[in-house]
Amino acid sequence: MKQIIKIIGNPKIFVYTLIWLMVLVVLGTLAQRDIGLYASQQKYFSANITWLGNIIPAPGGRITMVVILVNLTFMVLFKHNLWKIKKIGVLIMHIGGLLLLIGGGLTAIFSSEGNMVIEEGAQSNYVDDYHNMELAVINTSNEALDEYTVFDQPILGKGNILSHENLNFNIEIMSYLKNCEPLKRTAPAGIQYRGMLKNFMLNELKPEKENSRNRPGITYRITNSGSSIDGIYGIFFGQSVSQTAVINNQNYEFIIRKKRTYLPFAIELLDFKKVLHAGTGIAKSYSSEVNLIENGIPRRVLIEMNEPLRHKGYTFFQASFIEGLEGETTVLAAVKNYGRLFPYISSIIMSIGLLLHLLSSLPKLLRKIPGVSPS
Amino acid sequence: MIKNQTTLILLAIVLLSCDMGDHIRTYRLPKIKESNNPHQIKDVKIKPSGFIWKKPDLWIPSRGSSMRLASFEIPYSGGVGELSIIQLGGEGGGLEANVNRWRGQIGLGPLSRFEIEAEAENGVSEIGNYQLFRLINLEKKESAFLAAIFPLESSALFIKLIASADGIVDLEKDFKAFCSSMKRDNRNQ
Repeated sequence: MKQIIKIIGNPKIFVYTLIWLMVLVVLGTLAQRDIGLYASQQKYFSANITWLGNIIPAPGGRITMVVILVNLTFMVLFKHNLWKIKKIGVLIMHIGGLLLLIGGGLTAIFSSEGNMVIEEGAQSNYVDDYHNMELAVINTSNEALDEYTVFDQPILGKGNILSHENLNFNIEIMSYLKNCEPLKRTAPAGIQYRGMLKNFMLNELKPEKENSRNRPGITYRITNSGSSIDGIYGIFFGQSVSQTAVINNQNYEFIIRKKRTYLPFAIELLDFKKVLHAGTGIAKSYSSEVNLIENGIPRRVLIEMNEPLRHKGYTFFQASFIEGLEGETTVLAAVKNYGRLFPYISSIIMSIGLLLHLLSSLPKLLRKIPGVSPS
Repeated sequence: MIKNQTTLILLAIVLLSCDMGDHIRTYRLPKIKESNNPHQIKDVKIKPSGFIWKKPDLWIPSRGSSMRLASFEIPYSGGVGELSIIQLGGEGGGLEANVNRWRGQIGLGPLSRFEIEAEAENGVSEIGNYQLFRLINLEKKESAFLAAIFPLESSALFIKLIASADGIVDLEKDFKAFCSSMKRDNRNQ
């Protein structure tokens, strides 16, 4: 057991993983030019395994950080010579580093970022994720309520079969396209194709560097419906007329959309204001006067460019706006980050550790200077 | 030693590869009419640019809203049409959203983006190519649109003519000539 603890807490692991992390930072930074910021983040920093040159597997940023975290934890807990008054500065620095990694982990796992788009006079209670998509299957048969069964992007891979007790059929994913365009068929489609795919096909395109410019699409097969509805369907992001199907007397709608997170409160846009620099069309400031509605009680709040609204762990920044003929629409960037305070706290702790270490080493340092003796 | 370290790292990789997330969610919501348009979110509005054009003598400049670069009243055999020129940042809300909004204004149902593009006619001008849309509801002939959308570098220019269905037919030739005459106004540079 002691041997295992010694191996896991070996400082050499920390040094090597830190060097590897630096290599990843360089690779990720260079890759941004070719594949864009988001794809580079995903490939080098958010992945457990990254493929160098698409051939050689190597530890990704996430696994590297986990190794550092485990190594540092074992170092702090089991390295007995750290737990001495002489080493108090070093110990505090290690604890600060641990907190930084824990905060990073919380952010990576639990944080979410997205947009809330609200027209003047309207209200919204959900945030659309910037990057992640979802397949929503909506049972619209009920007159008052729509029943949503939502499948997240990670399970929309080719070959996956989606099923749920709410659905009396299965959905087999035939392809998930990161970027696609609908093309009109030049020849008649096979009899297995249904809906839009009877006249169009989804043509895969090379993903754009800027992820928001991609138009994802899915082709899927409905099976086990026990009716002629079984067949191959296709949908793409932004399709204005959604794919519908009547299966066993139930009406279903299929939509691919940005992953949607519902909030326990709503925001109503009362007024959007923009101020331009005099005589120019250049923006000076934007602001959104909103009602924060919780449990039916509205509270008036002004969201400005550097004055976000913070509520229930969410922060709403004024990000953009859309100017339309019928009115204005505000675009708020919504961020939820559980690890938000960790960098601040851990930086303070590490600074204290450094200071203590410096102070405790000072007599030793002074002794080394000829002619100076500590009093 | 190296063997043991490698084993531990591999073990950690295997453990992390296990996906424990629940990726299926269900909920019920009251029925709402919602938009599913990906082009709605745009960058902050860009600085408006000046344009120059050639117009028929019969077109009369008029006072429009502050958002418009220019407005004209256009007489035709059955009445007076109204033409507006507007420049918006980004894609200005997107082709699909705008065309479907115009269609909705004259009682036509929405179309998908590729149906819209299939109906568009392409034109050429010095500021770039544009797409021309003829929106006529044969059951509501009193109001119809001719619209041109110019996708520019960081903005979009919209030229829209509102007239009766018969007026649209009368004015189409002049409208196309006007759109094709669009140039950047570089006189102040």
